[in-house]
Amino acid sequence: MILTLLVLIPSIAILIVTGWGVVEHEKAMKNVTESYVLDLAQSVALRVDRPRFIHRAQMMSPRSIDSFVLDISMPGWVALVDEDGNLLAASSRARDVLPQIWQVGVPVGKATLLKGPMGDTYTIAAIPTSQGWYVIAAVAWSQLLGPMVRFSHLWPAAVGLLAIVGLCAVWAFWRWLIMPLLSLEAEVSSLKWGRDLPEPDDPLAVWELRRLRKVLYQLAETAKEREELTQRYVSDLVQVQEEERTKLAREIHDGPLQDVTALLQRILLLKQESWSEKAKKYIEIAEESATAAVRELRGLCDTLSPPWLDLGLLQALTELTERLARIYGIKIYLEANEIPDVNEDITLAFFRIVQEAINNAVKHGSAKSIWVRLACENGYLVLQIEDDGSGFDFEGDVEALRIKGHRGIANMAERMRMIKGQIDIKSSSSNSGTVITCKVLLPLSGEKSPRNAFDVGDVSKS
Amino acid sequence: MVIRVVLADDHPLTREGFKSYLEGRENIKLVGEASDGESAWELIKEQIPDVALIDIRMPGIDGVTLVRRIRQEGLQVACLMLTSYDAQQYVLASLRAGAKGYILKTASPDELLRAIEIVASQGVYLDKEVAKAVEEPGFSPEGLSPREREVLLLAGRGESSKEIASKLYISERTVQTHLASIYDKLGARNKTEALLLALKYGVVTLEELLE
Repeated sequence: MILTLLVLIPSIAILIVTGWGVVEHEKAMKNVTESYVLDLAQSVALRVDRPRFIHRAQMMSPRSIDSFVLDISMPGWVALVDEDGNLLAASSRARDVLPQIWQVGVPVGKATLLKGPMGDTYTIAAIPTSQGWYVIAAVAWSQLLGPMVRFSHLWPAAVGLLAIVGLCAVWAFWRWLIMPLLSLEAEVSSLKWGRDLPEPDDPLAVWELRRLRKVLYQLAETAKEREELTQRYVSDLVQVQEEERTKLAREIHDGPLQDVTALLQRILLLKQESWSEKAKKYIEIAEESATAAVRELRGLCDTLSPPWLDLGLLQALTELTERLARIYGIKIYLEANEIPDVNEDITLAFFRIVQEAINNAVKHGSAKSIWVRLACENGYLVLQIEDDGSGFDFEGDVEALRIKGHRGIANMAERMRMIKGQIDIKSSSSNSGTVITCKVLLPLSGEKSPRNAFDVGDVSKS
Repeated sequence: MVIRVVLADDHPLTREGFKSYLEGRENIKLVGEASDGESAWELIKEQIPDVALIDIRMPGIDGVTLVRRIRQEGLQVACLMLTSYDAQQYVLASLRAGAKGYILKTASPDELLRAIEIVASQGVYLDKEVAKAVEEPGFSPEGLSPREREVLLLAGRGESSKEIASKLYISERTVQTHLASIYDKLGARNKTEALLLALKYGVVTLEELLE
């Protein structure tokens, strides 16, 4: 901006100064020619007024008068006219020139500026003599001031050209340098590093700026790629963790849980036989241990990845909220209205979010009542978890929480990101609880993935 | 009269265990066993047993789907779910599909026999583990009013308070009041439990619950 002004101000200054200079010069030239013409006319008039001349004039032919009085060695033309305007005598060539520029009404005793038929500028003056005649003197500017006149015409043109070039330079400067710079600055300052990209090219910018923009674009691209990589890494982590949990839960269910169940069955069978008191006691202890082991394994499966997730979202949430209400001794209200079947991904995401939200509300917020609402709104499935706990300070930055070690909220956000949904968390540490709202676009009907709720996989196993 | 039983469980060791439970009982005869859903379906279709012991999680067709198919085909087979899980939603899903009972695999031989006998005689059997709630000895539920029964049944079909309110032309608040009263009368802590207990006490019947 300042740079532009630095160029613009001198340009305008030159234009003004030059304009003033030209006007002053014009004025000076006018003064010079005026005094010159007046001088010329007066000197001739003086000569004409001499008694010698008057005496001689009466006997001389007009031609010789011409050469006598009016042969001047200076530039200009001189003529002698009587009061009626009849030409009495004239210097050489004045007879040709003067009638062309001579106009009646030229003020006497004062120099006047006239334009000749060819566009030349003349200064003319008439001085009265004592005989009642008039001496007329005229000079053409080009004749008297030749180079200066030309200069005075060339000068403004040259300066005008310079000024135009200057203005063009300013315009070009603005167009190709300042504007692209400003737009680049605006773009970069509003850029979300790692998420957005600037325009890759600006064809209106100068080459250096285009290079700069290209470099910035590449940097932003790298940042974005890295951000995406991190995001993918986090997604992979969540997904792999989920897969591992499911796999482990399934393995526990199909392996140890069944084995211990089989063991318990044998113990229960043994119990039916008749044994010594000592053996009975051992069998009883074995039964207790096996029963405890079954419970623990079942609990482990439920913690890792409950098989009843297969029942669908509403059933899974019902089971989860009833269990958590029992475990924590709190009230959990599940409200759901006409929920369509949703795919496994949404079911899992919402299940984990509700699980996390309830755990957080109880452990960190000491909530006593929790409301879980599930509703269909304008093609969106909306989940809302509200608690009456103490709440926490949340400024909206999930990443900041993750960095501080609070992974719960970050994980919820990640789950929603994975199913292309939105999450909104409202909380403050003013004992007004927390409200978590999740929203995901429902797949169009018919897009529902067919699934077999209880299928443990592998048919060829049998 | 001998009860003819089919056993479907994909785990060989537990299957063997159940076989041992049933051996030597004069009123029960094991007529076939299957290790996956598809062969269980074939077996049941062929045998038409009195009672089918079905594991919920099986390769191929899962237990709940199998029960639903048996009911839809109109086969006169009483299905008793036999599973490792105590999830009440599993119980509800099975009962809605048409199962007559639900028993955990950890149940004792005597409990299993009792369950088989009950479902064979058109009764409903629910494992004590899944429907114990706050059942104190000698607890007998108060009778539910007709309105309360209606509310409970609609809730049992998975309808929300709002939906129940609009169906019965009452306010949502009234629905909540009814539910609270139902929980109190049955000694339940939530809808699922209330429903299971209502079934157990015969306040509602299985037929009323079917999908």
